[in-house]
Amino acid sequence: MIKTFTQDDLVLYVYNELPFAAKAKLEQALTQDYELADHCSELLLAKVDLDKALHSPSPKVVHNILSYSRNLSL
Amino acid sequence: MNSVQLSDSNLISLYVAGDENAFELLLNRHKNKVFTTILLIVKDTYTAEDLLQDTFIKAIHTIKSGRYNEEGKFSSWICRIAHNLAIDFFRKEKRSPVITLEDGSNILNVLSFAEESAESVQIKEETHARLRELIQQLPPAQKEVLIMRHYADMSFQEIAEATGVSINTALGRMRYALINLRKKLSTDNNVYDKNIYPG
Repeated sequence: MIKTFTQDDLVLYVYNELPFAAKAKLEQALTQDYELADHCSELLLAKVDLDKALHSPSPKVVHNILSYSRNLSL
Repeated sequence: MNSVQLSDSNLISLYVAGDENAFELLLNRHKNKVFTTILLIVKDTYTAEDLLQDTFIKAIHTIKSGRYNEEGKFSSWICRIAHNLAIDFFRKEKRSPVITLEDGSNILNVLSFAEESAESVQIKEETHARLRELIQQLPPAQKEVLIMRHYADMSFQEIAEATGVSINTALGRMRYALINLRKKLSTDNNVYDKNIYPG
């Protein structure tokens, strides 16, 4: 029998927090439950979108932090 | 030094032993997520850069003085410092943060765009700006969990503890945040299509 997974399980799966055994069972369920797979793909796509919003600090700031570290001896 | 093979924990050990290159790798590995975490809270590039420096200066002092606790992930730890500093700043200001105009951002900062055409860079930057705008439009509780989990790399258990809610509530908020974001993006795309193919 296939375990019923909740939407919260999908969130845990997408963020790699589902325990190993549950992860394997969920991946098996995803091949058979198209509705579950659809929900999962939406969450995964949102996660990919979020990565696109990543922003970089200026090289000057990075340089300042590295200089601070090099000049500090405790 | 091969950064791919070295874990954060390895790099910290090397840094404690005096290897500044290890710290550079650690900084380059995490700076974008930490910076984005701060930026989404304070909404101002210059303030975010100041707070990024403060965050890493705190981390440098903690690690170099031997007070860094090896338990837990470095990424969660550094992002928690950043998150707390950003929230402190926000509270101290007691006003709506200044919003930096997108055309004021330094395009040279976005290293991955270095070899792309100016037009491509502009389109990408506009899309990314829209995404950040959509994140800002999320209900505060959803936005908080989203920033903590996706950018600050905190676990749902850590988020639940930090925000004083159950793990199920944190998960629910995250799920709604992701779904809302997808819906908003999907609406954006539909509007875009209608403009291209009117009638």
